Amino acid sequence: MPSLTTKGSFSKIYSLAPIIILFISVLNEFDFNYLNLDYFSFNFPFILIFFFSLKDFKHFDYLLVFIAGLINDTVVGLPLGISSLSYMIICISTSYLRNITIRPHPIKDWFFFLFIISLINSINYSILTLFFSYTLILENYLVNNFFTFLFYIVFLNIFKYYLKGVND
Amino acid sequence: MASSRDDFVIAIRSAFLKKSTQQKFSLLTLVFISIFIILLSSLDFKAVRYLKIAISEVVYRSSFVVSIPENFIKNTFFDVAEYTTFYGRYKKNESELETLKSNYVSSEIIQYENKELKELINDYVSSSNKVLAKIIVDHNSPFLKSIIINKGSKDNIKIGTNIYDQSYLVGRVIEVNYKTSRVLLLSDLNSNVPVTIAPQNIQAIVTGAGDDYGQIQYIKAGISEELIGDSIVYTSGTGAIFKSGIPIGKLQSLEKGSSTKYIVEFYSDFSQLKYVFAEIITKTEVSQTNEENKEIKESNPFEAKLKILEDEIKIIEETNVKFIEENENLKNEINDLGNKIINLNSKISSQEQEINQFDIDKKEMEFLKLNLDHGHKCRKSFFNNKGFVVGSEEYRSCVLNKGRPF
Repeated sequence: MPSLTTKGSFSKIYSLAPIIILFISVLNEFDFNYLNLDYFSFNFPFILIFFFSLKDFKHFDYLLVFIAGLINDTVVGLPLGISSLSYMIICISTSYLRNITIRPHPIKDWFFFLFIISLINSINYSILTLFFSYTLILENYLVNNFFTFLFYIVFLNIFKYYLKGVND
Repeated sequence: MASSRDDFVIAIRSAFLKKSTQQKFSLLTLVFISIFIILLSSLDFKAVRYLKIAISEVVYRSSFVVSIPENFIKNTFFDVAEYTTFYGRYKKNESELETLKSNYVSSEIIQYENKELKELINDYVSSSNKVLAKIIVDHNSPFLKSIIINKGSKDNIKIGTNIYDQSYLVGRVIEVNYKTSRVLLLSDLNSNVPVTIAPQNIQAIVTGAGDDYGQIQYIKAGISEELIGDSIVYTSGTGAIFKSGIPIGKLQSLEKGSSTKYIVEFYSDFSQLKYVFAEIITKTEVSQTNEENKEIKESNPFEAKLKILEDEIKIIEETNVKFIEENENLKNEINDLGNKIINLNSKISSQEQEINQFDIDKKEMEFLKLNLDHGHKCRKSFFNNKGFVVGSEEYRSCVLNKGRPF
């Protein structure tokens, strides 16, 4: 019996892993910025939220994603609500993609992801410059957009292994 | 056509409104909440400000804990890199320290004078207290250059508090929570600092470039020709946001195509900050209530001036003693060197004599050797009436010429 309980709690933690990783990544800003590489940055939470809200949405609580957005805003120093809105737009887009897709294909998802992150970054840039008078470099956003798009396919394969483990 | 539009509407409606069993809120609700919070943030609504402070207090601490493994790896990497250049930097620091020591005396006098003048200009006396603060979050984001320190309103930190790395300016506080604060670094795009460029005494604004350097902006046209590579940039104090006279960095020129851009290379490396100093300034108003106070006010600058002069004399005396000691040492050294030169001269002359003697001996030896072989040809005798008397100069020349007529 205790072994069953242990197994049960382990599987529960395992199924909550994406949310835990999301919180760690927003608290820690998992983006390799400390390497000080010129023209390199990517947004890990975007990749994670897109993938899991598309493939494993039952274990992915939108409220927790929303809270993760608030935390990200606090850590990065952005006005409260910006990241939450971005994350919610990703969740809506994946929900829409799920509804219209009969036969999912990773490449289609990948390019849909590019469209969504471009849209989100444009919204973020517009809100920050128009409403909050932030001075931002557009180039940085474009680079971030490009590398986030590239890294999606890398993380896709890692996340697939995880999903296989959950389903097994 | 109509059915495809219906499908699209259904998919959108489902995406926004459909709530699965696991979800507590529909996405549309959460989107509205997000927009509502953003609107309140833009209006600087009190409730949102307090909410942000509350979240910040928890999040900054959590972020610090979560960042421990990454920071450990990062710091180890930097430590290793630092050790490889350790000896070179030690030697450089040693020579710099010697120079700084000599500059210290004059700088102290200037500081006293500066303090006195500032007190005469202003109607208040400012006393500053630097508080050591630890950096708990430093993510080096490419979008916003800011750090979080572990001092907040509890430690009298206010918005605008100047932050230092040793005595170099790092940035200013832009957000204060109870136990934490956010510091906007000078390298951030939104940072603007009024500065003076020395020694040309040019006024300008340094704006962050989003990188590890700052840009010189709003400089008077045509004046940039005067700028040289070794100019120092420090705060001018204009606008009363930053204190005046705080060093920021060195001026460098950057050739970009046909135009020359002027940048500021910061003294402090913002990516290597672990601890910073927050300067808490308290201003004490000097009130004029009655004649007595007036007298005290009048006498105080005089006393202060006297004190400064006394200190100045003390410093000058100390330097004088140092100079006298150095002078004595130099004199002794000169005497020693003079003696050494005399000894060496006498040694050289004795060696020269020896060499001369050796040359003479050598010539004599050669003559004797030739004399043995050719002496009979040159000696005057019964059979040789063309010869010379032994010992005469002619005889010697004849022997040296190996008996041949010369």
